[in-house]
This record gives sequence, structure tokens and C-alpha cells, in this order.
Amino acid sequence: MSENPKIYIVIPAYNEEKVIADVIAEIRAAGYQNLIVIDDGSADNTQAVAKNAGVVALRHKINRGKGAATKTGIEAAKLLDADIIVTLDGDGQHDPQDIEKMIAPIRDKKCDVVLGTRLIDPRGMPWYKIMANHFGNFVTWYLFGLWVTDSQSGFRAYSRHAAETINTKADRYEYDSEVIREIYIYKLKFKEVPIAVRYTEYSMGKLQKQGFWNGIKTLYKMVWGLLS
Amino acid sequence: MGLHLYQIIITLIAAVMIYNGIKNYAKGKSGQTLLKVSVRIIVWGGMAIVAIFPALTNNIATIIGMQGNVNAVILTGFILVFLMIFKLLNAIERLEQQISEVTRKEALTEINQK
Repeated sequence: MSENPKIYIVIPAYNEEKVIADVIAEIRAAGYQNLIVIDDGSADNTQAVAKNAGVVALRHKINRGKGAATKTGIEAAKLLDADIIVTLDGDGQHDPQDIEKMIAPIRDKKCDVVLGTRLIDPRGMPWYKIMANHFGNFVTWYLFGLWVTDSQSGFRAYSRHAAETINTKADRYEYDSEVIREIYIYKLKFKEVPIAVRYTEYSMGKLQKQGFWNGIKTLYKMVWGLLS
Repeated sequence: MGLHLYQIIITLIAAVMIYNGIKNYAKGKSGQTLLKVSVRIIVWGGMAIVAIFPALTNNIATIIGMQGNVNAVILTGFILVFLMIFKLLNAIERLEQQISEVTRKEALTEINQK
């Protein structure tokens, strides 16, 4: 990796026209200019708003899920010769100030994947989300063999090697757990880094987030993926 | 041989289903294959035969080794239904992945063209 690795920030987004411009501005203010927004078949103007903000704005013609959108963004970053790829949510939950500590271990060649974790310091996280995450961690460990403190976090960083090695098939929220499985199968070096998380009225009110029923669907898909 | 009403109804329905299947195949309608017609004849023909000769199920139960012909029929039905569901879910999963692949390729066109 060169001394100035090319860093791309990948932001999967679904119906985020109200906040995506602010998310982009915040990431730019943190010092990162290579951004890729993937509009996952939004019914609003997410892609147009992102394009107006001057970033690479791709669009899925139909909604395929956060996992599929993230994978599209990572593929785009690879095509654009990224050395380090960071994924984060498009609703403003993740603090771009945390990007530096996410990429530092990869830049210093200490590991291939950095997993942002909310559970080392879960201040501000609703109790039911903490419980759900613990359950998700247990299921991920039981099915895929690797224990991590936050298996469902979308705030992650990958080296070029990891991005080329990891090959996921999951389209929706089970994607986050599938990445953990890939790390285990390919014995990628990884590190967990505590991240801040901002739960706003806007982000908590979104129907498509990983709520209880989506969690049940995620669990079913993880088990089905192993059986089929 | 006196047939009961249910035997007549099941036989008639089976006959209509088999006739429609053969007719659609003969007309060359899209989606109709020899395999589909064969499966239709076996399934509906089998139902008609069991309806007309219910004692046959005793022989089937004896061959399988089950106690009671009704149990044999129900268990066989369950197994077949589960197999079909499994196959269908797998097919749906493959289709979903293919749809995502096509959607992704289309989304990445802009970058590939640069």
C-alpha cells in the first residue's frame, strides 16, 4: 500500500434525500473527498441529491437491500482503484470523525478489516438494541464460528485485499453477519474499534431499519443460507 | 362397481386437469414441457386411481412398511410437499441473487464506461 492510500467512503442509502446531503458534507468536513453513494431503489430523490453534492452517485433500479447496495459500492470502489474502503450508513448514525481510527490499522498494515463496534461503549444505545445486538452476536458466533462484539454494525473498513477476498451473497441485513463468516473462512486479520452512534428521531423512525421483525427475517435467512 | 360421489368428483377433476395439460402441450403453449405433462399425468392420474381403487393404498402401505394406509398416504404427501417447498425456496434464492447481480451490473455501468 502506498503512503497515501486511496480511501473511498461507501454509503448505501434508501430514501435518505432529507439527510444524505448533510451526511456527505460531514464526511467531506472530516477530510474525505472520495465518496460513493448507492441509492438502493429509493422512491425519493436520494441519487439526485447525492449527485448534486458532487459525489459518485450510483443507483439500483429496484430495491435489493442494504447488503446488495454495500456490495455494489465496494465493487465501484474497486473499479476506482481504492486501497481502503470504508462503509457507513446513509442516515447520519455514524460519526465521520471515527473514520480515521477505522482506517489507521489498515493503513499501518496491522489488519485487513476493521469492524466498528457500538457495544464496547454503548452509551446512548437503547437497551433493546443492545439486547438484540448481543443476540445477533451469539447467533453469528454459533452459525459462523467467530465472536465479535458488534456483528450488525455497518461501519467497517476494508483493505483492498479484503475487498477482493470477501465474496458475499446476502442482499439484506444478513450481509453484516455474512462478512463475519468471510473473515473467519479466509482468516482475514481484523480489529474492533469502538465507534460513536447517534440515534436520532429521524433514524429511529425509519421502517426499513433492523427492527424486531427484520431481525427475525435476518435470522431465518442466516439459517436458510446454511441449510440450502 | 358402484362409485361414491367423491370418487366421481375426484376422477372428473383429475380427467379435466390431465386433458388441459395434454391440450396445452399439444398446442405448444409457452412453459409447457414434456416433463410438466408427465408430472401432471402421474399426480392427477394417481389421485384418480386411488379414488377409484382405495384398497390400493393398503398395498402401498404394506410395501412401505407403514401401519395403516391413511398414514402412508399422508406421510408420502407430506414428504412430497416438503421436497417441493425446499426446491421452490432454493429456486427463489437463486433468482434473487441473479436479480441482484443484474441490478448491480446496471448500476456500475456508469463507472465501467469511464
